Parts: sequence; structure tokens; C-alpha cells
Amino acid sequence: MGEVRQKKMQEKGKRSNNRKDSKVFQKKNKGNDKRRHNRGGPRLAPSLQREVNQMKGDDNEVSDFDEGDTFAGDVYEYEEAVPEEESRKNRRYDTVDNYDYKLPDDFKDEDVFSDDEEDTDERDGKRNLIEDSDDADPKNDDDGSHARMLQSITGMPREAFEGKKKNNVVISEAYQESEYNPSRDVLDGNGRISIDDLLDPLQGKPGYSMLRKRTHQTEKKSMALQAPLPKADLQRVERKVAYEQSKKEVSKWEPIVKKNREAPTLYLGQEVDLGYSTVGAIASEFEPRTEIEKKIASLVHDGQIMEAHRKDGSKLLELNKVSFEDEKDRQNRIAKMRSLLFRHETKAKHIKKIKSKTYHRLLKKDRVKGASAHIEMDPDAAKELAMKQEFKRAEERMTLKHKNSSQWAKRILSRGLDAQDEGTRAAIAEQLHQHATLTRKMNTLKDSSSGSSSGSSSDESSDEEYSDDQTEDNNHSKASKLLKRAKDKTLKALEDGDEAPNSGLLALPFMVRGMKKREEAAAEEAKLAIQEFELLSKQLNNSETENIKTETTSGRRTFGGMKKSAPEPRKKTKPEYYGDTDDEDDTETREGVEDAGDDKNSSLIVDENIGSDILGADSKRHQSSVFKSFDETVRDPGPKTTYEVAIFASDTWKKAKNLEKKVDSTSTATASKPALQGQVPKETVQDVDDQNDSDHELMVEGVLSSANNEAYELPSQAELIHQAFAGDNVEEEFERQKEEILNEENPEPEKPVLLPGWGQWTNVQKKKGLPSWMLEEHDRANKKRQEVLKNRKDANLKHVIISEKLDKKAEKLYTKTLPFPYTTKEVFEQSIRMPIGPDFNPTSAIGALNRPEVVKKSGVIIKPIEFKEVDTQRKVEEHKQSGQKQKRKKSKTNNGKSVKKMKAWA
Amino acid sequence: MEEELGNPVAERILPPAEQEVSNEEDAKIKKYLRGEGANLEVLKDKKLKGQLSVIEDLYGKSAKAAAKVEKWLLPSEGGYLEAEGLEKTWRIRQETISHEVDILSRRNQHDIILPALGPYSLDYTLNGRYMAIAGRKGHLALVDMKDLNLIKEFQVKETVRDVVFLHNELFFAAAQKKYPYIYNRDGTELHCLKEHGSVLRLQFLKNHFLLASINKFGQLHYQDVTTGSMAGVFRTGLGRTDVMQVNPFNGVIATGHSGGSVVMWKPTSSSPLVKMLCHQGPVSALAFHPNGHLMATSGCERKIKLWDLRKFEVLQTLPGHAKTLDFSQKGLLACGTGSYVQILGDLAGSQNYTRYMSHSIVKGYQIGKILFRPYEDVLGIGHSMGWSSILIPGSGEPNFDTWVANPFETSKQRREKEVRSLLDKLPPETIALNPSKIGTVMAVKKKEKKTKKEREAEEESAIDAAKSITMKKKTKGRNKPTKREKKKREIFDKSKKPFLQEQIKEEEELSRKRPRLGEEVELPKSLQRFARKKTAT
Repeated sequence: MGEVRQKKMQEKGKRSNNRKDSKVFQKKNKGNDKRRHNRGGPRLAPSLQREVNQMKGDDNEVSDFDEGDTFAGDVYEYEEAVPEEESRKNRRYDTVDNYDYKLPDDFKDEDVFSDDEEDTDERDGKRNLIEDSDDADPKNDDDGSHARMLQSITGMPREAFEGKKKNNVVISEAYQESEYNPSRDVLDGNGRISIDDLLDPLQGKPGYSMLRKRTHQTEKKSMALQAPLPKADLQRVERKVAYEQSKKEVSKWEPIVKKNREAPTLYLGQEVDLGYSTVGAIASEFEPRTEIEKKIASLVHDGQIMEAHRKDGSKLLELNKVSFEDEKDRQNRIAKMRSLLFRHETKAKHIKKIKSKTYHRLLKKDRVKGASAHIEMDPDAAKELAMKQEFKRAEERMTLKHKNSSQWAKRILSRGLDAQDEGTRAAIAEQLHQHATLTRKMNTLKDSSSGSSSGSSSDESSDEEYSDDQTEDNNHSKASKLLKRAKDKTLKALEDGDEAPNSGLLALPFMVRGMKKREEAAAEEAKLAIQEFELLSKQLNNSETENIKTETTSGRRTFGGMKKSAPEPRKKTKPEYYGDTDDEDDTETREGVEDAGDDKNSSLIVDENIGSDILGADSKRHQSSVFKSFDETVRDPGPKTTYEVAIFASDTWKKAKNLEKKVDSTSTATASKPALQGQVPKETVQDVDDQNDSDHELMVEGVLSSANNEAYELPSQAELIHQAFAGDNVEEEFERQKEEILNEENPEPEKPVLLPGWGQWTNVQKKKGLPSWMLEEHDRANKKRQEVLKNRKDANLKHVIISEKLDKKAEKLYTKTLPFPYTTKEVFEQSIRMPIGPDFNPTSAIGALNRPEVVKKSGVIIKPIEFKEVDTQRKVEEHKQSGQKQKRKKSKTNNGKSVKKMKAWA
Repeated sequence: MEEELGNPVAERILPPAEQEVSNEEDAKIKKYLRGEGANLEVLKDKKLKGQLSVIEDLYGKSAKAAAKVEKWLLPSEGGYLEAEGLEKTWRIRQETISHEVDILSRRNQHDIILPALGPYSLDYTLNGRYMAIAGRKGHLALVDMKDLNLIKEFQVKETVRDVVFLHNELFFAAAQKKYPYIYNRDGTELHCLKEHGSVLRLQFLKNHFLLASINKFGQLHYQDVTTGSMAGVFRTGLGRTDVMQVNPFNGVIATGHSGGSVVMWKPTSSSPLVKMLCHQGPVSALAFHPNGHLMATSGCERKIKLWDLRKFEVLQTLPGHAKTLDFSQKGLLACGTGSYVQILGDLAGSQNYTRYMSHSIVKGYQIGKILFRPYEDVLGIGHSMGWSSILIPGSGEPNFDTWVANPFETSKQRREKEVRSLLDKLPPETIALNPSKIGTVMAVKKKEKKTKKEREAEEESAIDAAKSITMKKKTKGRNKPTKREKKKREIFDKSKKPFLQEQIKEEEELSRKRPRLGEEVELPKSLQRFARKKTAT
């Protein structure tokens, strides 16, 4: 029993071996055909090959019914020829007992204890046919065993098989005999077992009828296997299959590629996630790794520390708060300083560059002067200067530099001063003088200062006065002195002011009046000034006697208040003065507005700004009018003119005007207002409120005739003549012009001419006239010209000439040839008819109109197309949708659907 | 089956109101589609077909969006005077209008009397906010029309014939006695354009930044105000005129002349684009409709004509004279003569202009120039005694596009706009009768052959030139007369050579073109039987 099991196992192993590897050498008993083929044909990709194999397997399944469905791998055609030594066809070779790859003879299977012999036998036989029998005896001859087998299978007596014994030739088989590898003689037919034979014993068992039916069917259908094709054909077939296969493979990409091709815009790399978009995102991912990082992290994330920091930090921030104004101030200050510095620097640089010595000398002089002025003001500077001078003096005393001790001076003196010229003598004298000044004792200076303080009020002394040791007393005395002097002067001015000119412009009454007013104001001001001075001096005295500050402040206060009030009248005085003159003007010229005032106005408008100021002030008075500003513009005086203004746009205005009239009659008014007033009643021509026409016209004739006479000018003689004869022969003229232009643009063909001397030897040519070809050519040219003329745009327009000259500069704005894909001009022109710029389209449409062919994020790597199964219906839909939607859909399909994806480098 | 057929019909029938709306929208969409799309059925190229269909689709969407924008975002509708019963619109007076309108509009009715400095001409900025006025006797002023505020006023003390704003209110040009000058809004003289001479009329081409002028001698000057270069100087050759107007649609300048002709010019060619005989008498005024298809001219023979510029035909001839003409943005035509202004309009939209309004200013005032104020229903009248402004309902465009012209422009916007408009500046070549044709195919015409005479003349001159070359006196051995002669001969031949070559080439071409005698010339019938039969090969 154990033996049997083992056999079966072996068989199974073999079978499975066969199944697995189709390349194993096999010998087929079928048909005894030894023709086997090497595998050939194009080398295919493994996947393809697999496919091909599968297909072949299918074919064989149909045809090789006897091999059974399960044994798909055992394909007939693709077996390699068995080497002759193995096939043992003619036994030219010695048999090899054992191959290297076989197990050694003495190999023992552990489990096996009785089948030793058989195993060796099998291996000895080198895939010989070994009778598959249950016999334990290996020495049994074939016949016996075979007969026995048959007997056992069929259940027939042994004798039935005896006869065939002699025919049995020992044929080595590669495989054990089995139902899949039937022995040769079984297939030959003699003493064969038919399937019926095999089925008979099964009769009556369940499923028998079905089995028989099937066998019958297979028998009926049986057909012979065809001979394998020649190699070339086979390869061709293979190639064809391969082509079909690859075509299929490629064509599945077609819709995708087509879609991409047809899409107006391709979106590449849209679904790529760039990962972190912000620094914060990157930081949030940070994990401390090294020790120090961990330490820091522990500190950073420590709640206590954080809280402490937060509190502290907020405080700090509070401290940092600076008000907007402060900051602005600071900035302004800094900016100012910087600009000042810069300017100063540039100035210094510039001055430094100046090479002129005289300039520098003058500059130095200035500086010294400035310094002296400075000294007066600043005690420190004065002290410094004194120190300097002292130093200089000391130096001089030490060195006696200027006491004719230099070589030059010595030489000059040795020669004798009389022998020298003026300049040298002067120089020597100068030097000596310098020495004298430098060595002069200090007390002289002190004397002068004390002298000045003693109180010389004359102007000359005041110029000189300066002190190097300035005490407070001195200061006070100086200030008081100044005040006193100012007071004196103002008083004097007041007294003087009464003088007035008796003749000329200023003698006119209004001028006089104006002057008076001004004087009054001035006097008032002077009074104020005097008061001020007094107060100041008082204050000074107070400070001298070290009185309380309150008094001074009160004094200040009054001073401040006075000052405020003081300039105001001054401002007003001027305009009023002018205003007065104007008023005067107008009262005089109220009857004839035009004549008067011209000369006065010219003087009047010396100061335009002031004039406008007045006007501004005046316009404030009648704020009821809406046209305040407009009013101003009109009244703004220009030179040599007076304006009448009539603005009657609304009722309110009119009312306002009426009010003004009353006001004007009593009070002073501006320059233009009286003029206005004078004109108003007469010029209401344009008044919109006026209803009836007759009224209207009357008024027109009333006033403005004079102005009209001025405006209307007779046309000049030349103009009149021109106009009179203008339309005389316009049409003929124009036609002539047209003809000319036509001739210019499409010149008439040249008339045929004979070359002088040609054909004139005899009279024949003359009589014949021009040769016919010449005439023909001329005719043709003429016809062509007529055609062109007929095609002109202005051919049917008698009074129009439209130039057909080509503008070379404009040529570049047109396309010379149709651009490529277009074949007709119309289609091209219609396709470009719409402007696509942002000026001509709503914003919602511009994007789509101007979207580039490929939209891609910069820096994103474009991946190869991914294969997705796209059904054609949906593709069409997608195509119709706009680019935006397409994009969305694309991403959706990517996310949502699990599609069969493949990559290809397409 | 029947149901299926029935359904679309039901869909098509809409309630009347909706239908009207849809019709309106359709009309607008059609307007924005700017013509019809290409017929794609005819195309054989599938790829092109696909591309074009996509593009057409986009165009359609854009047009639809634009129509919707117009419907919802441009709500102000322009109105006009409508008379009831026996009333006539031209009987309605300014006073009656002033009673009806709001205060702001009422402010637009005013007369400014400035008698001293003579007839005034005026100009508005593109956005209608500012006005420049120029008195004949040298008075120049800039007025902000929104608050009627005088910005600047000055006196140039010489004749000023015309004033025109440049691209914005910052600059304006004035045609003065000898030269035109450019001033800024502060009245500072920036440029003196001496090349223009004493100019009678100025015009500014806003898209091209060209200042065009016509001077006393009938010379037309174009100057680029951005670079200062002269874009073109042409002699009209038709005498002195002060009738010049720019066509806002295409930038073509038209001048009216004493011969009754209107001539249209562009800066890149010295020959006029179009010359048309409009009137028998001298042309006194000229105006273009903003859409560029309509031109109004008035002649001294007391006729006002309206021309269709697409066909160059008269649309309408009206009796009357106009010293000055102007079209408003909405297409009203104002004619001013003497002291009377008449406004014509085609309110029915049938290109038939009828009397719409009229207004007479004070008798004796001579109207110099009338100009509609953009984006306002206002007509400015410059006359001999100052200027006035009246209300003409329905004249101005009610909706303004702030990108094009913004009456409420801030200075920052103005600056931005200046830069943008400079970037969008069109080169002078783009001025053409039909600028929408730019970009289309224009086959280059073959170079025309020179006529025989010209060729001969050229040859002769070349030979003469060759002959007149004086030979250098060379050193001893090389100065032999034979050598000199040889050299001379050589030069002579060389000069002749190109002409001969050309001639040969031409002859060859001719012979190639000319039908061969043996093949096509038919023999007389009697001789045909002798003709050699063509050998059938």
C-alpha cells in the first residue's frame, strides 16, 4: 500500500513538472513524429509572451481534446527537438548509465524500504518507458507485465493480448506511461484500448451516461492536427499578433491623448501638493532631536516659563508703545536734521573746492566778523576768543615774530627802508602794526567796554560795543538802552508822519483819506509798540531788582494779547485803502462805466494778490449766492479791463444781488460790484426767469449795442472775393482733380511709338502704321486699366476720390499671407474679429480668453500621463465644459475614483 | 412622437415680457459679438475647427457677460425731451427746462459775459470736467466745470485762435498769433511749437497723442506730444482754412476747404485718404459722429449735409447755415450760426435728423464755437461776448466708464490713467479709414513696373553720370590716353550693364509668357490640313 502511494506521488511530481515547464524535453508518442521546433520568432516582452502563450494554450485546448483540459501547458508545436542520443532512434551512442544531475545509485530514500530496485530502474532507463505496473518484480518482461496490466484494466483474459507480443518493440519513452502519456502501441491501434473499453466497467455507475455522451461528442468532432507552419510564416503570424497586441495597448491611450490635444488649455502638475506652504507649517513639524534641542524645547514648552514670558513680554510691548504723533515728530525732526546736515556738508564741500584765494580771504573775514557778532551774544564764545587772543599775544611776546625778526625783514632793513618801494614799506609797516596790536596790553579792551557801559547812546558807539566779560548787569543795561532807543524812534516817526504831499496822485481826496486811515492805524500801532516797550523796560527793571515773576508774566500776557490785535489792523488797512480808491472810481464812473477807471485800474492792479484777497473777503459777505467761487473768478481783475458780470442762473442769485444793491449804496464795495450793479438792470437779458420774448429783445438792444459793434467785423476784401467766387466751377475742378489722381495712381499705358529710323526707309511701313502687336499690347494695357478703375471704390462716386495708394508704414499692421491652419480669408478675419483685451471684455471672460495653452506651476515636475479608463461619452461632455470645470473634474476623478492606473512615458 | 415635437415649441413660446427681455439681451449680445462667427461647417481641418469652436464659445460667453454687465451695471438711461400733443420739443425754452431740473443741472445754465477780449472758443477735457476758454484777444482760462471754479486765468497779449486740451487737464495747447504754445494748468508756458507756424485750428488725437494743426498756409502738421517729434507735415494745397476736425473713431483728420471739398488725412501719407466734394460753396463747419460713420458738413451755400462715411454718400441735406457744428456723445447735432443754436437729432434712430431743440442767445452775439460737454447734457457756446452753457437733455452719455473717462477723477487716478494711456498709445500708422481692418490679410501688391520712358530716363541719367566722371591724373606711366580711354569705356559699360540685364530678363519673361506660335495660333481653315498633326507619344 505504501508503495502504491509513493508511485502516485512520483507520478504527480512528474506531471506537475511537465505542467510547470514547457521547455522540458518531452517525447511525444503521438504520431511518432520527431519533428520538433525550436522556439523562435521575435523576442517579446515577458508580459506579451505570457499572453501569447495563453492564446496558444487556448487554441490547443480546442484541438487537443485527447490531452485533456487540465494539461494546458503541454503544447505540441513548441517542443524542442530531442537530441538523437536521447531519442535512441538509431542507437549510435552509448547509453549513459547515470547523469550527473540524477541522484546517485546508492541514493536512498529514507521512507522507502522495498522499492529500491524500482527507483534505480527508473533512473537507469533514462526516461525509458517503464511499465506502470503494480508488479514488484523488476525482472519481469514487458509482455507479461503489459498483458497483466491489460487484464487488470479491462478484465479480459490474458490470452486476448498474447498475439501482439511479438509486435511489441521496446521503445524508450521519455515518460512513464500514463493516461496522459499513452504508450506507442496503444496509440497504434493494435490491441488498443478504446475509450469505450475503458468506460465499460463504469456502466451503471452514476454519471456514466454523461461521460459517454461527452466522449461521443469528442469523437465526432475529432479532427487531425495540422502540420506546423514553416518558420517564416510562423514568425510573421507572431509578429502580427504582437502588432495587434501592441496596437491594442497603445490605442487605449488614444482618448486621453486626444482629449489633451483638443483641450484649449492643459493643466499640468495641478494636483501636486507642494507640502509646506508657510514657515509656520515647517516649524510646527519640528521635533527636537539633539540634546540641546530637547533642552530648549523643554524650556520653551514649559508652562511656567511661558507664562512668565508672556507677562513680561506684554509689559515690554506696552513700554514699546509710542504714540503716533511722537513718532511722527521724531521722524520729522530726524529728517530735518539729516537734510540740514547734508546741506551743510555739501556746502562745505563746495566751499572747500573753491580755489580762489580772495574768496577764502573774504570768507575768513566774514567768519571773523560773524564771530565777533557771535561773541556779543554768547559769553562762552567771548571767553574763548579772549583766551585765544591772550594766547596769541603771549606767543607774539615770546617769539617776536612780527618784530622785523624774520630773514626777509632783516634783509630789507639792512638795505635801508628808503631804498625799498612802496609795497615793501607798507608790508613792513603792516607787520610792525600787527606786532603792536598783538602786544598791546589788555586793559585797553577793558577800558572800552567800561566806557560803553557808562552809556554812550550814540549809534556809533553802539556799533563798537562789545565786552569780553559780560555780566548780567551789562546785559540789562544794554537791553534797556535798546528799548529806549526804539521808543525814541517810534515817537519821532509818529511826529514825522503828519506830513502829506500837496500835489500829484496822493493829493487826491480819496488818497488822502486812505492815507489818513493808514496813518491812524500806524499811530495806533506805534502807541501799542511804545506801551510794549515800556512794559518791557519795566520788566527788565523788575528782573534787575529781582522782583517776582508773576508780574513779568502778566506783562507778557498783555504783550501777547496786544501783539495779536496789533497786526490785524495793519492787514486791514491796506485793502481798505485800495477798496476806497475803487469805490471812488466807481462813484465817478457810475454813468459811463467803460471810459473811466482805466488808468486807475492799471495802478490799482499793481498788487494782484491783495486784490484777490479783498475779493475773497468780500465774497464772504454774500454767502447766500451759490456761485461764490464762480463769482470770484469772474471778478478777478485782469489788466486794462473792467468786467460786467451777469450770472442769472437762479432766483436765489437774483435775490442776493438785490440785497447787495442795497448794501452797496451805503457801504464800501469791491471793484467789480458797482460795475455789476450798474449793469444789472439792463443786462437781465439772459435772465432765465424772464418769460416773454419781447421784453427780452428790448433789453438786448438797450445796452449791448456798443459791445456788439465792437465785436462785429466786416470780412476783409480778399475774403469776400474768395467767398464770392468760391463755388464757381467747383465741380469741374474736382473732376479734373479726380482724373489727375486716377492717372497718377493708375497711369495710362504708353502710346506705342516707332523708333525713329525704323521701318521708315520705305513708305511701306508708314502706310501700314504701327505693328499690330504693339497696338494689341496697348489695347490690353488699356483694358487692364479700365478694369482697375472699375474696381476702385470710388468708381461709382462722382464726387469722391478715395486714394488707393499703399501706405508702406501701415503695411506692417496687416498680415501678408494667411496664417497656417486657415485656408480662407473670411474664416481668419472672423476668428480675429473680437478683441480679447481687458478693455473690451468683462473681467469674468478675460481669463478664459487669454488663458495660455499650458498652465503649470513653476517648479513643479510634470509627471507622465496616468492612464485612466475614460468612457467616450463622458469625454465628450468634458470637452464641452470650460477649462475651469475640466480642471476640477480632473482632480475629482483623481481623488474619488480608484481607477486602473498605469504609467507611460507618452 | 408628437409630444416630442410639441415640446420645443412650447419652450420657445415665452410670456411676452420675458420674450422682450430676451430679445433685448439678444440684441445686446449680438452687439458685443461684433459680427458673425466663421462658418465652421465648411472647414476641413478638424483641428482648426475644434479650436475655432472653442474660441467662438468663449466669444459667446464674453458677449453674454458683457450684455449682462451693460444691463445691470449701466443703469442710467439717457432720456430726451418728449413733447405731448401739440407741443414741440424745439419750442421748449431753457427757462422751462430750468424749472424742472435739479439744482446741480440748473447750475449748468449760465452765461458768462466777457465783452473785452473778443470771441471765445472753448474746449472740454475728455471727461468733461474741465473747460479751457480762449478769448480771441489773448484771454486764456481754465475752469473746473464741476464747481465752476476758475483754476487759472491769464492773458497772453496776442491773438489766440484756438485752444485744445491734450490728454488731460494738465496741459492745453493754444494757437496764438505766431505759433501754438502748450501751457500747463498753472498757465506756465511749456513749449512753443514753432514748426507749426501761425495755426488756425488745433486738434488733439487722444489715442495717438498727436497734436494736429492747420496753419495759415494750409499746412497740416502732426506732432507727437510724447516725444515731440513731428509725425507728419503736409501741404493741403487747397488754401487757407480753419475748418478741421478729427474723426474720433479712426483718428482721420478732415479739413474743409473753400472749394467745397472735404479732405481726409492721415499722418503717414502726404496724399489725402479721401477727397470729397461736399458743397458748392466753401465748407464752413465740419463734425463727426462719435461712431465715426456720420459726418456733418455745412457750406456757405446754406446747406447742411449729413454724410455716411462708409459709403461716402449724402444721407440727408438740410437747409440752413452753420458756422460751427458739433455732435454730442448720443448723436445730437448742434449747429450754431449768428446768435442762434439749433440742435438736430434722430430720436427715432432712423438716421433722419430732425429739429430737436433750439436756443437763441442775445441778439448780436456771434457764436464762435459750440461744443457738447462730455457726460453731461450740456452744450457750451463760445461767442463774441463770453461763453454760455445751456441744457440739452439727452445729449451726453449717461454712463461713464471710469477706465475711459472719469469726470470724478482723483489726481491719483489721473496719474494712473496717464501712464496707462501712454502705454496704450497707438502709433500713427494705425490711423486708417477702417482701423478694424488692421490685422487682416492684405495681399501685397506687386511692385509696379516702371514705364519705358522712366526706364530710359533713368538709363540716360546713369550714363550721363558715368560720362561726367572726371579721371584722376595719374602718375607718368599710367596716364596714357589708351589706358584712360579704356577705363572710361569700362565705367560707361558698367553703368549700362544693369539696365541691359534687366531688359534681357524682361524679354525672357515675355517670351515665356507669350504663347508659342506652333501650338495655339490657329491656322486659317484652308491651311489647317497641312498642319502637322501632333505626334501621339
